[in-house]
Amino acid sequence: MAVWFLDNDGHAVPLLDHFTPAFYARGPQADLHDVCQMLRAQRAPVDLHRTERRDLFLDQQVEVLEVGVRFPAQLQRLQRQVAEFRPHLTYYDADIPLPQRYVLARGIFPLAYCRVEHADGRLTAVEALDSPWDAEYRLPPLRVMTLRLDGELRNPARGYRSDLLVDVGGQSYIFKRDQGRQLLLGVRHLLEQHDPDLLISAYGDSFILPRLIELSRHYGLPLPLNRDHGQAVGHKRAHSYFSYGKVIFRDEQHTLFGRWHIDRQNAFLADDYGLDGNLEIARLTGLPVQTVARVSTGTGISAMQVATALRRGVLVPWQKRQPEALKTGLDLFAADKGGLVYTPIAGLHEHVAELDFTAMYPSLMVHFNLSPETVKAECCPGVPVPELGTPVCNHRQGLVPETLAPLLEKRARYKALMRALPEDDPRREVYRRRYSAHKWLLVTCFGYLGYKNARFGRIEAHEAVTAYGREVLLQAKEIVEARGYRVLHMYVDGLWIHKPGARGRPDYEALLDIIKDQTGLPIELEGVYRWLAFLPSRTEPRVAVANRYFGAFQDGSLKIRGIEARRHDTPAYIKDTQLHILEILADGRDVAGFRALLPKAVAYATERLRCLRAGQAPAKSLVVQQRLSREPEEFRVRTAAARAVQQLLGAGIPLSAGEQLRFLYVPGPEKVRAWDLVDQAVPYDVEAYTELFLRAVESLLAVASVDRSMLENWLLAGAGYWGPPGVLPPPGADPRMPLLAARRRRKAAAQPTPMSAAAPQNRYAEHWGRRFP
Amino acid sequence: MGRTLPSITQAFLQEQSSLARFRRALRREDQLALDDLLADARRHLAAAAYASHLLPFEVMLLAMLVEEHKAVIDLRRRLDDLEGTAETFSSPRLTPPDSDRTDA
Repeated sequence: MAVWFLDNDGHAVPLLDHFTPAFYARGPQADLHDVCQMLRAQRAPVDLHRTERRDLFLDQQVEVLEVGVRFPAQLQRLQRQVAEFRPHLTYYDADIPLPQRYVLARGIFPLAYCRVEHADGRLTAVEALDSPWDAEYRLPPLRVMTLRLDGELRNPARGYRSDLLVDVGGQSYIFKRDQGRQLLLGVRHLLEQHDPDLLISAYGDSFILPRLIELSRHYGLPLPLNRDHGQAVGHKRAHSYFSYGKVIFRDEQHTLFGRWHIDRQNAFLADDYGLDGNLEIARLTGLPVQTVARVSTGTGISAMQVATALRRGVLVPWQKRQPEALKTGLDLFAADKGGLVYTPIAGLHEHVAELDFTAMYPSLMVHFNLSPETVKAECCPGVPVPELGTPVCNHRQGLVPETLAPLLEKRARYKALMRALPEDDPRREVYRRRYSAHKWLLVTCFGYLGYKNARFGRIEAHEAVTAYGREVLLQAKEIVEARGYRVLHMYVDGLWIHKPGARGRPDYEALLDIIKDQTGLPIELEGVYRWLAFLPSRTEPRVAVANRYFGAFQDGSLKIRGIEARRHDTPAYIKDTQLHILEILADGRDVAGFRALLPKAVAYATERLRCLRAGQAPAKSLVVQQRLSREPEEFRVRTAAARAVQQLLGAGIPLSAGEQLRFLYVPGPEKVRAWDLVDQAVPYDVEAYTELFLRAVESLLAVASVDRSMLENWLLAGAGYWGPPGVLPPPGADPRMPLLAARRRRKAAAQPTPMSAAAPQNRYAEHWGRRFP
Repeated sequence: MGRTLPSITQAFLQEQSSLARFRRALRREDQLALDDLLADARRHLAAAAYASHLLPFEVMLLAMLVEEHKAVIDLRRRLDDLEGTAETFSSPRLTPPDSDRTDA
């Protein structure tokens, strides 16, 4: 095993370490004996022992055959061979990544600050001086080299070509694309001169590295991409997979030995937690940095569970065979449910508080000890799960809770650190990224509990978590209702509540404490909204939907869900317009303030629409981006995406499901143009974009009873019936029958606005939708 | 994710589509009223899911009744206000028993 260290001067030092990982087999004596015979007969480099280890689900020591492999790289091959030879034996510890096994065995972790003793290039002792649980730590001084194609960031797989731009040691170098030999020599020179620890690239996985390797082969000039010259660059092919209703495309991968390569365009959540989060996850999980950058956080949480198991001396099952236990139809009926998702009360509300349970599912697992081996355990009578009655062992801590508890704790520490720093402190962003990495690790831990192929997954544990989740949310509902709050909406781990008079953070402190006490789970006030709009469903306008809402908090910040600005396929121009309108409206302190600011918002929207219709919007800001939902040949209907795909295929550019597709609506029979094929200014389809624009504005203003025709009058004709565009009908007037309003107005003058659904006298205002369909 | 049973929304949509012939044969104005009732049922899908009732349609009917009764209470209250004869009817209490407590 070659282990790379950076010394205090930043020099990279490879040290060899002898390491004998083992896998285990359990089964009848005769079969284990045959396995030993077989391995000895072929003189495999193995150490064989009979030993006892703990099985997680049996909760007892079992006798197993330990096969230690003296050449770690051969472990996988030998284990497969044995498994083919005796397939009905149970195997353990067979597919844990070697780097992770190594750091676990030595008590270190990636990026640890270590004390090392070595002799003749061999490691004799190593000890970590810091801990993965430290919130603040020193990182090694990394020398970074970035590689990208010159010019605008575009995907070379779609035919984009440009010169190679290399940044290293504070200087930029450009290598001409048509002079391959000079380019290769130049990159080689920079690699040798600067000896970087980390290569960060844009499209390095799919284009730059493979092209460099190709050039190096073509000219017969070795290129020292690896520090370890004995190794070839690691390669994995591209693939698409299906996850949570989405097709995801992962491009091919090129990983290095002795230094790292991270492709920002092919990295998981690069924009969210970036390199800081990446390094944090590597420290926590023990997975190599290059792996962490390319896999989902689910792999990370799974690796942490493996680490817990190894630390406890528990065997890690290989190809777990554990079918769902038999249950009756009625039991299934009770259990096969997710979190509670309410239908909010549609309309515009004011002074609404949002309470969120912090990291609800992981907290439930820790608090109620929910783990694959504790749910339905037979070791003790246990505690019954609400609704289901499944017993949960309460005398030994489960493996999943043991893994998650310190993560939750560290996440809370980062949050506190972040809040303690002033807004402009640069460390704040580092903490935010590390915090975000934790958040993503915790988000995935729930899915893995219910995934039948997960090593530590079990469907009954998954069901127990959702059952507890429903119970806790309903308890919270009962607590707030008993104190006079009205529940406007509930969504799995959050409640939106309102009480006349309760307006600020201090009004909710006591309430939070009571919920915390009674449920045992941490809950926080996400914020109090100045105003908040729950939007109706597009298919059934009479009913609101759970995940389409927007609101302005008391500090003026916005929370937006489910509308165009949050969708990935909305063109930037429309997204920006929608966000800016919301920013204008966010100045309104309550529902009345929201309505009063409409003329200002409408004036802004009118100007933006005028620019759009005059052809002045930059074409780049009108590009629609979609994820390709299927393989190109599977398109049946000639949708916009299908047309763009055809154009790309026609231009000889291959596509796979899950890849990003970008196109522009253009006038004429062509209808759309794939953005990768646009190389000069093209006119865009004004009417198509006007339609998208109006829909986006309507999403925002419909809560103030602004319908499509009123909006068109305002934005396209610059006309308003009740005053300048943006001025709403007076209270009580039906906008569809303006002439009746004069009479009504006199009558309604003394009455408060019926729009404010949160107003106490209008308790059943969700019929709002019925009166103004 | 791999759910074995249809979700409550799917169950609702099934019930709704099973009423398609009934709805088709209704007069236009009755169709609109039926649509209102179905929208009412839809407002309580979360509670219906939590109830895990074997016959979701029964729960849907009850949800419609809940909404209808809320409308009745509301109208009754407004009528009382207009006639200035509050508390004539023995209407159920609208406010939770201890909502006037101000301990939170």
